[in-house]
Order: sequence, then structure tokens, then C-alpha cells
Amino acid sequence: MASDPVDVLIIGAGASGAAFAWSLLETRMRILCLEQGSHLHDSDFPSRNQDYELSRYGAFSCDPNVRRLQQDYPINSEESCITPVNWNGVGGSTINFLGHWPRMKPSDFRTRSMDGVGDDWPVDYHTLAPFYEMNDRNTGVSGLAGNPGYPDYAPPLPSIPMGRLGRKLARGFNELGWHWWPSDAAILSQPFDGRQKCVNAGTCDLGCAAGAKGGTNFTYWPILERAGVELRTECRVREILIDESTGLASGVLYFDPDGELREQRAHLLAVACNGVGTPRLLLNSVSEQFPDGLANRSGMVGRNLMFHPLTGVSGVFDEPMRGHEGPMACSILSQEFYESDPARGFLRGYGLHAGRSTTPMTFALGGFGIDDPIPWGAEHRRIMDSVYPYLAGLTVVTEDLPEPHNRVTLDPKLTDSDGIPAPKITYSLSGNTRRMLRHGAERATEVLLAAGANKILKGDCEKVWWRAGWHQMGTCRMGSDPANSVVDAWGRSHDVKNLFIVDGSIFVTSGAVNPTSTIQALALYIGDCIKSNIENLFD
Amino acid sequence: MSGLWTDEERALLDAMLNCLIPANPERRIPAAGDLGVADFLAQRLRREVELGSAIKTLLNGAPAHADAMTPQAVTALENEFPAEFRALLSVTYMGYYSRPDIRALVGVGSHPVHPEGYEVESESEALLDGLTAPVRERGRNYRDTGPIRKS
Ligand SMILES: Cc1cc2nc3c(=O)[nH]c(=O)nc-3n(C[C@H](O)[C@H](O)[C@H](O)COP(=O)(O)OP(=O)(O)OC[C@H]3O[C@@H](n4cnc5c(N)ncnc54)[C@H](O)[C@@H]3O)c2cc1C
Ligand code: SF4
Repeated sequence: MASDPVDVLIIGAGASGAAFAWSLLETRMRILCLEQGSHLHDSDFPSRNQDYELSRYGAFSCDPNVRRLQQDYPINSEESCITPVNWNGVGGSTINFLGHWPRMKPSDFRTRSMDGVGDDWPVDYHTLAPFYEMNDRNTGVSGLAGNPGYPDYAPPLPSIPMGRLGRKLARGFNELGWHWWPSDAAILSQPFDGRQKCVNAGTCDLGCAAGAKGGTNFTYWPILERAGVELRTECRVREILIDESTGLASGVLYFDPDGELREQRAHLLAVACNGVGTPRLLLNSVSEQFPDGLANRSGMVGRNLMFHPLTGVSGVFDEPMRGHEGPMACSILSQEFYESDPARGFLRGYGLHAGRSTTPMTFALGGFGIDDPIPWGAEHRRIMDSVYPYLAGLTVVTEDLPEPHNRVTLDPKLTDSDGIPAPKITYSLSGNTRRMLRHGAERATEVLLAAGANKILKGDCEKVWWRAGWHQMGTCRMGSDPANSVVDAWGRSHDVKNLFIVDGSIFVTSGAVNPTSTIQALALYIGDCIKSNIENLFD
Repeated sequence: MSGLWTDEERALLDAMLNCLIPANPERRIPAAGDLGVADFLAQRLRREVELGSAIKTLLNGAPAHADAMTPQAVTALENEFPAEFRALLSVTYMGYYSRPDIRALVGVGSHPVHPEGYEVESESEALLDGLTAPVRERGRNYRDTGPIRKS
């Protein structure tokens, strides 16, 4: 049964869907969001329990293949060295994200013309800057103004504490004369907008029970729901429908909470299902006009999948680092090796991220994102008593360049609980990335030694972290040329004029920073383009 | 937790767990078997059938008496049954470190981390100024771009 058409239908209630909806609020259009997961209630946050760490390996794992909750869809990653991770529910992956909030840099948008690799974006940093700022205010971002790594901007709140570990490493960077800066964080250093400040619990991946982390469950969604945006949860979209006569998207077919298949019609559709969920949905939406998947005349839907491959190096210090205290991912960030320098043997660059160390169980099991337990026996005792408390580490987060063979397709057999075909990931590391990882591990070692580490524990850079598919980008890339891109400069499908994509799928390149501030800035920018062109939007 | 293992099996399992995570007597940190991690395993077995058979396999391959369960004997089990051993090892670490008392003994709060969290002092403005001064002095470290040329 088809329902009344809405003006705007957004699929996915995560980071991008929420920001996009907020941008359109002032138009007073009727906005509906369909989300396959549900709201999380206060009592659902595991960090309120004594054995909170256990949930990381069960119902609160970041890996949907481990969680296997009703709202999750399985992902076949057998042909990938990295598996995508996420959260499906109101807030999307900002429920379990770590709130590290660096912006992309001007050169990230021009990699082809500046460095001869990747492609240029059809938008640039300076166009997005006001939207970064707007989003920082809406989210409550903490940081220190004056970072020489960026054109001038000022986060709205003071930076979160760097902690003993961050101060130690900062001195190491200073010793070497390298860039570093306190991390921008979508985490409140002060009470803000009725929300509580961060209590330094250190379990940001388990959802922030304090409400201090800028997940859209705490930021945008309460405002949106109060303003009358309709959010239908436990509603999983199976496919987007096309009106064969107009060539426009007419609505969607979705499974409601009782498992009934329903049709919802809409005048404008926005897909916000993240870099794996979005191509999956488009590839599942086949019609006579689009036999290879909706909006896929370019053949680019699902291609150019980018993660941020990473590796870590830790140093053992003389005093306890108290690394489990404070937001997990955010202390300081060095971008000394971010910009291209061909003399290094690779193009583009990486960041050295000083997050904090993790809790004992996760450390013993190999670390966050890794399944490789530390040794047992006497060595176990020694590591836990004499190494673990004294650790500080750096993570090398590399830019992943777009390569068409890294891609999302549909698995021929695997489905979710509604029988919808699941995504399959085919992904491998490039030589450029491997060289970057090696270079980064060597530089990280130098910093740790300069900071006073008495011993270095190096990971194997050939083996990237398995559950490092936190950032999923590029699978419906933006571009001016419909022959090799899926959407145009404002997120609109080249092939279907009333279909927009507003998540990280539309990234042209990945930068070497966490993507969510850019994803949301882009979603706000796309909303703004729609508002400015509302009169002749579908021409 | 009764019924799952005979007394002999339970003694063997405890001895094996003590080898996996031994005690630190100086700091009064107990070993995994003595702490009762086997009870945690027993709870998990209700949901994880495969873990049950992994433990059975390891117990069947183990020495007859708990006294003979030395690190060497455990290494032999690890070599002979790597998948089963790995399954046991992971769940042992989970059972041991999910205990708030053990967390406290390795220097981490025993409380649920919310709502209390931890007290972490913010750096003063003067400290931040001093630490970042050399970075600011070196000046800009990004490449700027002009606006996109519209074709
Ligand atoms: C553990 C972890 C740590 C991270 N840390 C950071 C960090 O520190 N900094 C940072 O910038 N980023 C981080 N990220 C990434 C960040 O969370 C994502 O970049 C961001 O949430 C992406 O926004 P999105 O809107 O594209 O997707 P999401 O926020 O994932 O939202 C997509 C939503 O779409 C819904 N959906 C999908 N398919 C359908 C369908 N067919 N029907 C209905 N609904 C559907 C999903 O249920 C989900 O709620 C992290 C992610 C994880 C998992
Ligand atoms: S450390 Fe801060 S942001 Fe992270 S979960 Fe705890 S209170 Fe929230």
C-alpha cells in the first residue's frame, strides 16, 4: 500500500542524514526519515555496567558481523584486508564513533592538479568552510584555535584535556621540530546546549552515556524531532523506485517493524546509508532503466571504496600514562607528513594520531580493531603489570587513494534478515599505502623515543588493523563528468534528478583525517544548494 | 557451576587457566583459575556450543592430573589444537578482565565508567601556549588552493 508522498525522504538517520534534514528545516517541507535501527535508551549503554568491556565483543561490537542484531546487515569481507564497521540505529555510526574531528585540508580537494593522483573534487575547502563552522556549532566541537595546519578557524569550545600521555608526546614532537596540535573533538569540554561535559570515561565506542559526544542522537535528532521531522525507526529500505515515464525517483519499498513491505512515495530522496550501505541500496534498486543499479550509468556505484588503513606503534614510558582516562581517540594530532613530498617515496600523506590507550581486556585481546591476543603465561603477567600501564602510542592514519577495483558489490548468496542481498567488499592495499605505513611507523618510533620511551612495541605494518573500516568513502563519487562520477557538485545524481546522496560515498578522495566533520559539512552544503535552487531543482 | 565438568576436569581446567594468566603474588593479583574464571566460561557455554567442544577437546588432550598441567603441557596443547586453544584463550581474557577487582589491580577504575568517569585535569592556557609555541613559530604547514574555476 502506498502512503501520501512526502516532500523529502531521507534514508538513514546517522551523521549525514541528520545534518541534511537540519539544513532543510527552514523550508518547512514535510521531511520523513526511514531508519533500519531504533533509538538507544539510557539504560542501553554498556558503560553503566561493571563488566562494560565485554559488550565490545558482543552486542556493542563495532563489527556488524559480530553484533548480528536485528537491525544489522551482514557484510562479506572475505576478499578484503579491512572489514567495515558501523552502528545501525538513530545516530548511525556516531553512536559508536570516537569523536575525533579534524577537517580535511585545502589540498585534499585538489589531489589531481596538485599531486597528479586521485581526482579533484568539484567543491573546495573554502566553499565548505562556512558549513564546517555551522556544523561545529551544532555539534559542540572542542579544540584550540590557531592551528598552523589549516586556514584560520576557531572551534566553539576549549580543547579537551590532552592528558599526561598527550603532553608527553607533544614534547617529543617539539623535540623533533614537527607539527602537532591538540585534537579537535566532537566532545564537550564544557556543558553546552543542555548537554553534560565529557567525564573522561574512555569508552566512546560503547556509546556516550554522558551525552557529551556529538553523536547525532544527542545533537541533531532531538531538534529535528521537536521540529516535526518524522523519524520512522525499524524501517529498512529494500529499494528505491523509479517512475519510468519521468525518469525520476518516485519513492521506496521498505520493510516496516512488523516485516510488512510498504511503499513510501516522495518528491525528493536523499540516501544517507554510509559508504557501504548506500551503494548496496542503489545496486539493489534495479529497473528497466537501470539494470545495473540505480544512478549507475557511469558504472561507478560501489567502486573506489576507500578506508583509512592504519597501523600503530607504542612506546613504554617510565611512569604510568593513565591512557584509559579521557576520550579514546582524541589527544593530539600531528600532520607533519600530511602533504605530498615525492622524496618520501609515496604520494599524499598521513597523520600521526595520539589517541589514548585502551582498557585491560581490549589490550589483552590485541587492541581496538585487532584480534590478536597478547601472549599467555609468565609473559602475559609481565606485560600486563609492567608494560600496559606505561604505554603511549601513535596511530599512523594514511590517505587511501581511489582505485576502481576496491569496491562494494552484492553478495550472490548472503542476505539480511529481510532477505535483501548483503554487500560484499573487495579491497586490497596499494603499494603507495604500504610505503606510507612503513614511513609512518618509523617516524612514530622517532617521536616516541624523543618523548622518552624506553622501549618500542611495533606492530607489523604489513598487517593493517582488521576492524579499521570505520571510514567508508568514495563508492558514489562526486564529479562534473557523468561518465565517471555518480553525483554532481551538490550531491545530485547525474542520472536521476531528484535523487541526492549526502554521505561519505560521494567523497572523491579520502584525505588522511577522520571524515565525519567533512561528511556533515557536505550534507549541510548540499542542503544549502537545494534551498538556493529550489525553484528549478529538477530541471 | 556443576554438571558441565567432573571434579577432575574442573581441576584440570583451573590449572590450565592458572597457566594462561598466572598470579603476581607480590601484588596479590590472583591467577585466572584461582579467581574462578571457569565459572565465567561455564556461563558462556550456555550460549556458545563451539566453545564447549573446544574446551572438551583441550581437556581430553591434557595430562591426566592437574599437577602435571605445566606451561610446557599447555604449550603442547596450543600446538596440537591451535583453534580450540585460541578460543579458550580469548574467553579466558574476557572472563578475567571483566572482573572489576582485577581491573583495579592493573591500575584501571573498578567502577562502571559512566556516570562517574575519571578526573582529568585540563591544561592551563599558559601550558598550552608554551607547548604550542614552537609549532606556531614554524608557521603554516599546509598548501592552500585558490577557488575552483567554474567551466
Ligand atoms: C567505531 C567507530 C569509530 C569511529 N570514529 C570516528 C571518529 O573518531 N571520527 C570520525 O570522523 N568518524 C569516525 N567514525 C566514522 C563515522 O561514524 C562515520 O563517518 C559517520 O557516522 C558516517 O555517517 P553516515 O551518515 O554516512 O553513516 P552512518 O552514521 O553510519 O548512518 C547510516 C544510517 O543508515 C542506516 N541505513 C543503512 N541502510 C539502510 C536501509 N537500507 N534502510 C534504512 N536505514 C538504513 C543505518 O542503520 C545507519 O543508522 C567511526 C566509526 C566507527 C564505527
Ligand atoms: S570519554 Fe567523554 S565522550 Fe567518550 S564516552 Fe566518556 S564521556 Fe563520552
